[in-house]
Amino acid sequence: MTFPTLRHVAFAGLLLFSAAPALAAEIEIPIHHTEVADIGVTPKVGDTLTFVNHADIAHNLYLTFEDGTVQTLDTQPPGTTKRTTLAREGHVIVRCWIHPIIRMEFDVSDK
Amino acid sequence: MIGRRLLTLWAASVTLAAYAATAGLGGATPDVAVERPLSSADLAALKQKFRRPAATPFPKGNPFTEEKAALGKSLFFDPRLSRSGSVSCATCHNPSLGWSDGLGKAVGFEMKPLARRTPPVRNLAWGAAFQWDGRADTLEMQARMPITAPDEMNMTMDLVVERLKAAPGYGPMFQRAFGGDDPISARTITAALATFQRTLVSREAPFDRWIAGDETAIGPDARRGFELFNGKARCAACHSSWRFTDDSFHDIGLTATADLGRGKFAPPSVVAMRNAFKTPSLRDLRMQGPYGHDGQLKDLGAVIEHYAKGGEKRESLSFEMKPVELSDRERRELVAFLDSIRAEPAAVELPQLP
Ligand code: HEC
Ligand code: HEC
Ligand SMILES: [Cu+2]
Repeated sequence: MTFPTLRHVAFAGLLLFSAAPALAAEIEIPIHHTEVADIGVTPKVGDTLTFVNHADIAHNLYLTFEDGTVQTLDTQPPGTTKRTTLAREGHVIVRCWIHPIIRMEFDVSDK
Repeated sequence: MIGRRLLTLWAASVTLAAYAATAGLGGATPDVAVERPLSSADLAALKQKFRRPAATPFPKGNPFTEEKAALGKSLFFDPRLSRSGSVSCATCHNPSLGWSDGLGKAVGFEMKPLARRTPPVRNLAWGAAFQWDGRADTLEMQARMPITAPDEMNMTMDLVVERLKAAPGYGPMFQRAFGGDDPISARTITAALATFQRTLVSREAPFDRWIAGDETAIGPDARRGFELFNGKARCAACHSSWRFTDDSFHDIGLTATADLGRGKFAPPSVVAMRNAFKTPSLRDLRMQGPYGHDGQLKDLGAVIEHYAKGGEKRESLSFEMKPVELSDRERRELVAFLDSIRAEPAAVELPQLP
């Protein structure tokens, strides 16, 4: 399942901030029920991801980076937002401690 | 997703109005005044979310074959997989007891009680994480765990391979299932066990016939129970899909023990995983209990009372756990619903072991 309108939002967020090329972008990623929307773009180091929980259940996301480091975001009740700034390039897998069926992957570019 | 939103909307309308559909279904007086009935379109959308899938999925890396499933069945019933030679998978996952053991806690090597209850091995082809704490990603990976656990079958995979090579009949069975010169290995043993377990699927329950359109397949109590389950009682927040599980992990506020469940694997900052266990499927429930990861819920009365109270308030308690007032009649209706998702067990023909 996809969320075209919401993916638009994520996209729009990026465009807004990347208008000034030196600035880091802020990318909004909606969560609906047990789906984290595809990121839709290739973020770069320094960009910020904002996960917005639109679901009526809580989530607890964690990001596994290519070098094996794991970054756990806090438990995210319905209607709340969690933010992380991408510190390194490479492949990233987003999963949820509560819901193992959640999985979203993307690549981070170095610039 | 549309279904989900409908459900939320609908749940709200239930709190407001409750059981609208009962009027049309059973004719009994609703407990709460009816304001806005659940429209037949809403009910139809809700029912879609519980429709059974047409086929059983098998992973690309371990596709189904008859030979593999037959081999896996032999292995599942074969006590030679245990050090003592007396315990098979089926000792604990007994088909006569719904592929479990009917006990509050499993009994392991040398009759030692284990910390957890034996879950039924049914409908696991659709599973996303295995064991009460989800520490196995696949059934293939899981199969190794009971064989090698010192307090369960207490074996090494090497010793199992050695024993199976010594049993004359197994060579040809592995040959037919996997081919190759030396087909008996830890990998093929666990692949066959996983394949067999994926074939264990609940049969069609009265509820499934109702979902498929037979209005008379379940009674009015079960229908009201279904609405409660999805509406006021919010059970479907976790017991979702046709299997009635979200394959996810929640602390439902049972009496805490030293067993932290998924909390043992998650970083300490992930408070929500402390005391969190996998949502069990509710299909083909043994109606006499016991229930829960350690059997602490003795019967269905205790289960429903637990949810009515909402579980022990603590930091890790799931956000989806909220106290709810349930009348005796509503409790009976929930039980009638749980009964409607039970099917006649499939006949099991025991294998003749090589
Ligand atoms: C001594 C009793 C016992 C034996 C023998 C046993 N199991 Fe289990 N089984 C359990 C218990 C207890 C659990 C739950 C363990 C946990 O969550 O830590 C379990 C869990 C499982 C699960 C996970 C189910 C789920 O819903 O996640 C599968 C699959 C399984 N066993 C298959 C097997 C297979 C295959 C064998 C034989 C190789 C086997 N078991 C032998 C008691 C047993
Ligand atoms: C927050 C998610 C959640 C909600 C809401 C929920 N359950 Fe559960 N249910 C679980 C989990 C997780 C377990 C296993 C807990 C454990 O053993 O630690 C469970 C266990 C059960 C069991 C025992 C099954 C077994 O095989 O042991 C039954 C029956 C049950 N739930 C029915 C219900 C009913 C009826 C409702 C609504 C009144 C409900 N549940 C609401 C998550 C939930
Ligand atoms: Cu989640």
